[in-house]
Amino acid sequence: MAEGKKEQVTQSGIDRRTFIKTTGIVTGSVLLGGFHFVRLSQAQDTGPIKVGFPIPLTGPYGTEAKDQQAGAELAIAQINAKGGILGRKVELLVRDTKLNAAEAARRAKELIESEHVHIMSGVLSAANQLAVNEQCKLHGIPYVSVSQANEITQRPDNSIYTYHEAMDPHMTTQAVGEYVAKKYGKKWYFLTSDYAYGWQMTDGFIRRGKEYGAKSVGETKHPLGTSDYSSYMPRILAAKPDVLFLNNFGKDQINSAKQATAFGLKKKMQIVCPILLMSSRLGGGEEPFDGVIGGTSFYWEMNHPTAKEFVAAFQKANGRPPIDYAGYAYGGVKEILMGVERAGSLDPTKLAEAIEGRTYDNYKGPQWWRPCDHQSQQDVFIIKSKKAKAEYDVFQIIQTVSGKGERLLRTCIEVGQNPSKPIRSGLIEKK
Amino acid sequence: MEEQVQKQSWWPKLVKVVSDHPLVFIILFFFIIPFIMPYKALATQIIIWGLFALGYNVCLGYTGMLSFGHAAYFGVGSYTTGIVLIRLWPNIWFGIFCGMLMGAITAFVLGYLCIKRRGIYFAMLTMAFAQLIYFLAFQWVDLTGGDNGLRNIPATPVTLFGYDLHIYEPLRFYFFVLFFVILSLLALNRILESPFGQVLQAVRENEPRAKSCGYETTNVRWLAFVISGSISGLAGGLHAIYLHFVGIDSLYWTTSGQVVMMTLLGGMGSFIGPFIGAGIFLYLEDMLSALTSNWMIFLGVIFVLCVLFFPAGVWGTIKNLSTRKKD
Repeated sequence: MAEGKKEQVTQSGIDRRTFIKTTGIVTGSVLLGGFHFVRLSQAQDTGPIKVGFPIPLTGPYGTEAKDQQAGAELAIAQINAKGGILGRKVELLVRDTKLNAAEAARRAKELIESEHVHIMSGVLSAANQLAVNEQCKLHGIPYVSVSQANEITQRPDNSIYTYHEAMDPHMTTQAVGEYVAKKYGKKWYFLTSDYAYGWQMTDGFIRRGKEYGAKSVGETKHPLGTSDYSSYMPRILAAKPDVLFLNNFGKDQINSAKQATAFGLKKKMQIVCPILLMSSRLGGGEEPFDGVIGGTSFYWEMNHPTAKEFVAAFQKANGRPPIDYAGYAYGGVKEILMGVERAGSLDPTKLAEAIEGRTYDNYKGPQWWRPCDHQSQQDVFIIKSKKAKAEYDVFQIIQTVSGKGERLLRTCIEVGQNPSKPIRSGLIEKK
Repeated sequence: MEEQVQKQSWWPKLVKVVSDHPLVFIILFFFIIPFIMPYKALATQIIIWGLFALGYNVCLGYTGMLSFGHAAYFGVGSYTTGIVLIRLWPNIWFGIFCGMLMGAITAFVLGYLCIKRRGIYFAMLTMAFAQLIYFLAFQWVDLTGGDNGLRNIPATPVTLFGYDLHIYEPLRFYFFVLFFVILSLLALNRILESPFGQVLQAVRENEPRAKSCGYETTNVRWLAFVISGSISGLAGGLHAIYLHFVGIDSLYWTTSGQVVMMTLLGGMGSFIGPFIGAGIFLYLEDMLSALTSNWMIFLGVIFVLCVLFFPAGVWGTIKNLSTRKKD
């Protein structure tokens, strides 16, 4: 074959004119002719129900991502053991996003276009979630997000297809801010990572603080990925705050907590990490986090029947207790699949109706789906880092801040939705 | 016997034919890519990055300027196309044109500031300016979406004589992108084959000599830089429409690094080398990351081996081997 082709080309000896002609014809046929052998892809009505699950397996949040995967796998294993959804087995398709938003979007695109997934979940970090959400909105695939972001339940990012099982940064600040204002004093200092996440944290705390008479005595913004915080410490000490908030995440949180401990800040003020992750605590060690308090959606030693069931099943499957991200993934995937079962179909409106306004308890206590923005209302737990008696025994729950009556959520109007109507924006009319 | 001789010598001939008429073969190959790749979105990704690498190669391969800041033109093209579609006019052709134009303008301005420096100073300057633009986009949340990226780029339908082309269907979108890629390939080929293209190579080989022949080499380099920037901007604009999203990472230095890697992998001395490099890089990345989460180690080793043993890149090596055999 190749030989024949070669002969043709060499013998004809393409000159410029023929060359331009051919390329012209070829280009033309790309636009017109090429399109004829394409058929629009059709959704599969038989076979397994596929759940797409892009997560950052490589990159700084690899540990959390593996727990997300384990949580989702557990939910699906339990559902399949009971006969699946709508009589069909459920299948999980995991992809690595490399913690890069464009990569996450491309992976979601692949899952939707080539694997024809029915439901999307997973993803970590706000930017990655929003990128995947774009793809889901475009193709009309229900997406249950299991990591924190404010924007995802806010206009114009959210839609009838978007569900947010995780807490959002706003909820965290409302719960933690309330507890701290009551217990630890009214002079607050913020050490903030200089990007959307950090700013949202500071704004949320200042807003909550006002209700309790607390005020900011200073804020230091540091670039993302700073390793040396020593130059900030004298300023913080000079401001004499009662409470220091570390509005940063991951490695930054570990480094700033370490240096705050080394500078003796703990003796003069209470250190608060709004989102205190078990993985950060395990990675950073006991010393820097000792006595630090923070908020979380779930801690494996909590005393609640569904939590105990979940922890036991997770431990049996993975040989370690779950972190909060495993809980989100387990709860979110289970909830949306059970929603499909109740709706009796994958129709987006029926699915939304089956989920909206529902009170459920999958792994941590009662939760409620707010109809106007598909945000899951839930309790927030205040935890304190303690001296570990066993490998994973690192926190103590010191308070449960109830989320009842939307008291921790932004109002529907604040997120750009109509409080009296369920969200229906972005619905795609299927032919 | 005769057959054997022919068999031994067919592939150097084929390589020669391909390298004599690279365009015809790239275009033929374009029609196969979407069917041999594991999924269509990867094929689209490959031709977009291939276009970016091709634009970059005008700078590195043809003019000999090692720019380490091409993320700026790619990213600016992406953001411009996205922002124009969201805020100004939801028309894809206009959006893509603006992305390309903005890539060229950015390259024009930054080129003016960088072009008089050589070698490592040029690389560092281009990188510094690219990072400057990155942080600008990072902080300017109202316009760019900051860290969260630019979202809600409308999927406006493209019509031809009143007939909706449904370009967002995966294979059709591939051909939609291909249309732009082929146009730019033709344009670039025309430019690089022209006397101006020869001057570029003269500047690369021996700048003082080109200067003494009467060429205003600084301006020549500047113009090459702008052409390179506009192609990068075009690739960026296509990428924005491809994902309906622009991530802040598209402006980050890692994007610049990636395009350098692709170009070196494929072979910077040739017209189609960068395209092949982009294809190999993205395919390997996709394949390896499905097998192991330590894919970067393998890709790194492959890259190091390539640089050590095949400094002319994949395509350059194939070309060299085939000419050697022939003698």
